[in-house]
Amino acid sequence: MELGQLLLNALVLGASYALVALGFVLVLNATAAVNFAHGELVMAGGMLAVALATVLPLGDVVPGLLVLPLVLVVMAGAGLLFSLVAYFPLRRGPPVSVFISTIAVGIMLQHAVKAAMGPAERAAPPLLAGPQLDLAGLIVSRQALATLAVAALLIGGTALLLRRTQFGRRLRASAQDPEMARAVGVPVRAMIASSFALGTALAGAAGLLFANSYFVSPESGGNLMIKAYIAVVIGGWGSVPGALAGALLIALFEVGVAAWLSSPVAEAALYGALLLTLVLRPQGLFGEPVGRRV
Amino acid sequence: MSAARLRAMRDMTPRSWLRPAAWAVAALALAVYAFAFADSYVLRVLTLTGCYAILVMGYQFVFGHLGALSLAQGTFFGVGAYTAALLGLKAGTPYLLNIAAAIVVTVALAALIAVPVRRLKSHYFALATLGIAEVVLIGARNWVDLTGGGDGLSGVPGMALFGVSVPRGWGEFAVVWGAAGLLALLARRLQRGLPMRVHVLAREDPIAAAAAGIDTDRLRFNAFLWSAAYGAVAGALAVPVVRVISPEVVEFKVMVACLAMTVVGGRTAIAGAFIGALLLYPLPEWFRFLEDHYLIAYGAVLLAAVVLAPDGLAGLLGRLLPKSPVRPTVPDPPDDISLAPASTSVDLAIETVGKRFGGLTALADVSLRVAPGEIVGLIGPNGAGKTTLANIVTGQYAADAGQVSLGGLALTGLAAFRIARAGIARTFQTPALAPGLSALDNVATACATPGRGGPEARLARAYDRAIAAMAETGVLDHAHVDVGALPHAVRRRVELARALALRPRFIILDEPAAGLTAEEIEGLAATLRGLARTGIGFLIIDHDMGFLMPLANRLACLHEGRLIAEGPSDAVSNDPAVVEAYLGPDFHVTGAG
Repeated sequence: MELGQLLLNALVLGASYALVALGFVLVLNATAAVNFAHGELVMAGGMLAVALATVLPLGDVVPGLLVLPLVLVVMAGAGLLFSLVAYFPLRRGPPVSVFISTIAVGIMLQHAVKAAMGPAERAAPPLLAGPQLDLAGLIVSRQALATLAVAALLIGGTALLLRRTQFGRRLRASAQDPEMARAVGVPVRAMIASSFALGTALAGAAGLLFANSYFVSPESGGNLMIKAYIAVVIGGWGSVPGALAGALLIALFEVGVAAWLSSPVAEAALYGALLLTLVLRPQGLFGEPVGRRV
Repeated sequence: MSAARLRAMRDMTPRSWLRPAAWAVAALALAVYAFAFADSYVLRVLTLTGCYAILVMGYQFVFGHLGALSLAQGTFFGVGAYTAALLGLKAGTPYLLNIAAAIVVTVALAALIAVPVRRLKSHYFALATLGIAEVVLIGARNWVDLTGGGDGLSGVPGMALFGVSVPRGWGEFAVVWGAAGLLALLARRLQRGLPMRVHVLAREDPIAAAAAGIDTDRLRFNAFLWSAAYGAVAGALAVPVVRVISPEVVEFKVMVACLAMTVVGGRTAIAGAFIGALLLYPLPEWFRFLEDHYLIAYGAVLLAAVVLAPDGLAGLLGRLLPKSPVRPTVPDPPDDISLAPASTSVDLAIETVGKRFGGLTALADVSLRVAPGEIVGLIGPNGAGKTTLANIVTGQYAADAGQVSLGGLALTGLAAFRIARAGIARTFQTPALAPGLSALDNVATACATPGRGGPEARLARAYDRAIAAMAETGVLDHAHVDVGALPHAVRRRVELARALALRPRFIILDEPAAGLTAEEIEGLAATLRGLARTGIGFLIIDHDMGFLMPLANRLACLHEGRLIAEGPSDAVSNDPAVVEAYLGPDFHVTGAG
């Protein structure tokens, strides 16, 4: 039964990581640049949820589910603002400039949140309040189930948006080949801005889930960004399903090794596994080898 | 090279006294301020600022000059600091020995990392170095027996040189800034002359750099080790000033500080390292009213710098203190340098080459020979595989089947830069030149000059060969013009000169006539004919039959990855398969010269 419990924990953690990685890879594909502040955006979403839960006039304990739509909307707006500050001024520059500008905005975000809410770890109220369920000996909190359900809904919704709508097709077209997309009349700038909005909204949702199940502090951002970055690398650069699978794999790895040995060992081993992946399969675990255009 | 010739080369890039004077004034001002006005606290801040200037100089090697975003520079600082501190604390070894050990340990760590990760492209390199930084941080926090864990260890011994302890305050200040000055001179020596120019090409266009015979992997490897060595010295100098060692020195904020100083000060100018460190290290003091929140200002300064001053403050200053204008004159081409191939006895042989991209067959069973002095035209519709073939011959792609050889030397599987050095040069569909460099500097990047002499002598030898090559392709008049300001036709000829400067046996040209006027095309054909007479063989991809028909000795036609015809130009252009696949029934060469 212990194995089942471990798997469930890994699945819940993996679902949250997957949301982080999804937002990360959407922005990555739209801009061909790494958003180093993505973890800080996740953290900001979590802190926003904490703040909203205390401010909203909905009684003593506001269920996280009611806060979620607000977090999505506010963070989408924050994503637009973020793109205006950190991406669009440097769009024509080398990708490394965007790397640096997002590091800069990440620092500002981290310390602005610290200034506003203090350095301590915070927790948001659970998505759904209520006692734990006992499913054939497996202790399942309502929170865990709600986390899985919310993550699945958001990921499924994003997939539908990307695959089935005209907006999604345009988004993917401008990510794949901006020149060609522009030539056939896709407003590429608007699509990039939308990718930031969507990716940041998902980051916010991920932050809310983390703030419910675990804790967030102003310092949690960097670690989350690295997890998303690793998920994208082992899943194959730019592949959305690969990023999701990579996130689940990271969670399994972390929970498994931490249970077996210890948390620091799990983290060090994760980086070791990452380096091995980079050396042996730079195209990612699931990716096709990609050639560079000359 | 004669002394007069060397002098003529140096005359092209005269030095102004303005910059050395500015350095002297700045150094004097800092010294006067430190000794006359600074109290012990300010002295300590200034001393640590010097350590960061050294850290940033190291980072410029890998990030500034080669554009590789390493996120391990802060870790090198920390590993150097830990090594020196632990030796001083636990073994009581002399301070200078501790510094040396810090360098050895850190450089060894960097080499260990660099072997697997140096080939990785930008985003992977950044993540890999970040991963290593995280592993070191986890180690520092959790290996309590060695590092003292999260609390760290106090009581690190102070500096002592040859058994004499260095006074706190001004003594440490003098040691650190003295070291910074020496290391600045060393960095200048390592970068000036030809390396600085080669680095621009390696950074801006690694593929073109490989085609010019430059081993970009080795450059990155060396730069990474130098950055580690500088980082180690910075850490080993800082730790006896602070007297405490804790995981703080390997936290990511050291890396962020270093990155910010490099971007704000300037990515390649050595002055930028000093400006960035002097401006940003004391920033918490300047923004003391913000208390712990000064890092918000830090982020804002970094963002402003990357958006508004991509060359950093040193770049802005450099415009105020220009190097003396380059003399417009260029020495005559040297008469003792021949660009003809050393031997003209072997063919370039392509044998049954095949290449697939996923499910797409780009090339299948292609065989083609080019003899010395021969001009072979490669034609075919778009997507036929012409450029893919060029990329396989020059090593940008690996063939799935078949082989390419030069006499007895198998080229298949060799790195692109080795193929270039073996005597196969190329140009690209769009001229691939290093922006911001003059035409002469661009051509000189292909003139690796092993041998004796300082940076200036080596640059002079490279210029000599570059001038000879530029004279051959008729662009010597544009030698000092930034390539960004040159018209398209001239850029093509500058690129051809760079190919020629490799002293190749064969040159592969990818659509050299595209975008040229009829007159320019005729001139180009004449130049190529002249070069072929010296023994260089050419494989020329082009669509302009009016250019190729009279120029080429033979034509070969690719269609859907297969060679459908090969032979004398007339025979190929009348071949029914070629007419059907490419030329069309109405094809006639008109106006052929």
